[in-house]
Amino acid sequence: MKALEHFLPQVWFVILALFLFLYVMLDGFDLGVGILSLTSSDDERRGILMTSLGNVWDANETWLVLMGGALFGAFPLAYGTILTALYIPIILMLFGLIFRAVAFEFREHSNRKFIWNFAFAGGSFVAALAQGFALGAVIEGIKVDDAGHFIGGTWDWLDWRTALVALTLIQGYVLIGSTYLIMKTEGELQTTHYRTAKIAAITTLIGAILITIATPVVYETVRVKLFQPPLIYIFSVIPILGVILIGLLLRSLDLKEERPPFVYTILLFLLTFFGLGLIVFPYIIPNHITIYQAAASPSALVFMIIFIGFLIPIMLFYNIYQYVVFRGKVSSGHYG
Amino acid sequence: MEFLSDSVVLSRMQFALTAIFHILWPVLTTGMGIYLVIVEGLWLKTRNPDYYHHARFWSKLYVLNFGIGVASGIPMEFQFGTNWAPFAEATGDFFGSILGFEASMAFMLEAGFLGIMLFGWGRVHPIIHYISTIMVAFGANLSTVWILIANSWLQTPAGGQMVNGKFVVDDYFRAMLNPFALNSILHMFFATLETSLFVIGGISAWYILNHRHPAFFSKSLKIVLAAAIAVAPLQVYIGHLSAEQVYHYQPTKLAAMEAKWETTPAGETAPWSLLALPNESTQTNDWEIKIPNALGYILEFKPKLSEPVFGLKEWKPEDRPRMVGLIYYSFRIMSGIGIFLTLLMLFSLLQWLRGKLSAENIAQQRWLMVAWIFAAPLGYIAVECGWIVRCVGRQPWTLYKQIRTTDAASHLPATNVLTSLISFAVVYTILFISAMYFGSRIIRQGPNLTLPVPGLDDQPAIEVQPAEHIPDARPVEAQQ
Repeated sequence: MKALEHFLPQVWFVILALFLFLYVMLDGFDLGVGILSLTSSDDERRGILMTSLGNVWDANETWLVLMGGALFGAFPLAYGTILTALYIPIILMLFGLIFRAVAFEFREHSNRKFIWNFAFAGGSFVAALAQGFALGAVIEGIKVDDAGHFIGGTWDWLDWRTALVALTLIQGYVLIGSTYLIMKTEGELQTTHYRTAKIAAITTLIGAILITIATPVVYETVRVKLFQPPLIYIFSVIPILGVILIGLLLRSLDLKEERPPFVYTILLFLLTFFGLGLIVFPYIIPNHITIYQAAASPSALVFMIIFIGFLIPIMLFYNIYQYVVFRGKVSSGHYG
Repeated sequence: MEFLSDSVVLSRMQFALTAIFHILWPVLTTGMGIYLVIVEGLWLKTRNPDYYHHARFWSKLYVLNFGIGVASGIPMEFQFGTNWAPFAEATGDFFGSILGFEASMAFMLEAGFLGIMLFGWGRVHPIIHYISTIMVAFGANLSTVWILIANSWLQTPAGGQMVNGKFVVDDYFRAMLNPFALNSILHMFFATLETSLFVIGGISAWYILNHRHPAFFSKSLKIVLAAAIAVAPLQVYIGHLSAEQVYHYQPTKLAAMEAKWETTPAGETAPWSLLALPNESTQTNDWEIKIPNALGYILEFKPKLSEPVFGLKEWKPEDRPRMVGLIYYSFRIMSGIGIFLTLLMLFSLLQWLRGKLSAENIAQQRWLMVAWIFAAPLGYIAVECGWIVRCVGRQPWTLYKQIRTTDAASHLPATNVLTSLISFAVVYTILFISAMYFGSRIIRQGPNLTLPVPGLDDQPAIEVQPAEHIPDARPVEAQQ
């Protein structure tokens, strides 16, 4: 049983990381496209941007719902503590997602499209920003008592470091959104997004460098952890790989390739996730509560593996099928 | 305005508001999903283009509804963490897992096939499209199953016990199949179906009344009427079974539903209160219209009660539900609507059997059509009332008899919750008005009967070779 009490929370840590990664990657490009629509000059273009997401945004957002439910079930203590601590960013994210979601249908039927254009773009931006602050605050650490309950203040999540993470995440979303649009559009619209992808790649890189430097400098716990084997080896490789990937990405953008930029961006996201996961593990509320302390009972974790774990390949299968059905360029600006 | 500084009260108000708003939308997503499966199936079977146009027309309302349902559903899940953290910590093992299952089994299935259902008409084979429509409806109805399992467990917790403030599960299947689960799933399943049927019927009746495509919409009216023959009476019966369960498992709720202050011991008769004005400060009803001996007939089909029916005075005020009037009237409105819809179904059925609903005659049934239009929103009102009885009546407990609502709430500054509560109220008002506006716009535009109907052309033609004629070599007498 002792082994299970360790092993099962680790399994769920990995599954949750997978769900979060899928969400950040998939809804990341949705939100990125939403933010990019702010810069669109005319309505036809915005229509095409929204059409490119029409069939997928809902499934992509569902990974967040799934991650929420799985976190609630697998690490109930962390679910309560983290969400209570992040009350304001979470509520803001919810409102952002609400406006993003309803904009699709309302815009289609409305005569005043600018309202829903703004709801789509603004909702995407607010959701992305709030997610960035939430991510930054979790990495930074949440103030808890010995039982793991939140004891911090309302605005703990807001400082220059979390703002840096939020801005970088937005850049990342714009990057993946641009590379997605390179695949889905053609002509002048595609040219625009080669340009936005390039700008976003550079700003994301700058943000990532700043975070990479700032985190170990500011947080002693991270510093201690990073500069010890085995992490020191891994973390000397990750930045190198990151720089190589950015190089490959910029090169493929210059070569006007269509799919490789999206693939390189996903690999960049994956690399970042891998690094973050290693820094956070074995904590679920960094530096205070480990996954073992916050985990539900082993029986609950097994119960969840049966009903969720086994479904992961099936969910991935029909999600991929949907992308296959809707492959190719989006030409009409009509959603629906 | 003392409650404005009490974050527990504000969290409750926020949860109530977001739940009351949210449940409006999944009703149609689940119920109309089944209708779409039926009309698309009829189209595939009969090749009558009318059914294809029905599938296309109603799915416009469906998708408008869907987006708001998805968007307003996420706050429900996240509030368990933001506003109800102690509850999340105490019940995560079971309650959290179930919400996870709902996402992995129901929402993902629904979302994964929705795109194909809405935009895939020209891209996939009609059979694949039909499978997608079925998957969307199936996913939506699976979410009814999981969410009702979760909520029923709050009403009748089973499969474990509280240990040091945490619910420890020792039998997950008993927890899932808790006493309320099966009836509640059926009651909600039929509630969404019945509401959707009468929404579709009401809109169809509106077109018929306005002489717009009466033949086309008499089809949908007949489909929903045929379904309602089974659904409407069954729903009344299941509702009755649910009330009986409340009698056995949640006496505090039954007392509030009946505004009953004094206990009736077993073996006696009790009147049933038809209308009353409950007064919580005097612990009596200021006035009341009663039907003698009826409570026994309603609960057990016999005059004398076999179990005592407890009155609210049995419990200390802090151990029983407040807002008795709200619970009492919500229950009566819900039951009244269930009975009214059944009567409307019966009367319509009578007219149908008399041949008055044929495409030529149906437009003359003016009053019947008006009644159907009037019935369109009633299902929603009944659903809201039912949930109010269920969840306000469960108070003061979040997990019945185990966790008090006051102990379940996060310790949040009241200003935070007040701000989010007001924001939700404003945003949801905007969404509600917009949805009504765009919905009525879709209805006024009407169906687009010029949409090209996809054939099965992309299907490889079945190889048909002309049969070879083999002359019958038998003698003429043996032929025949």
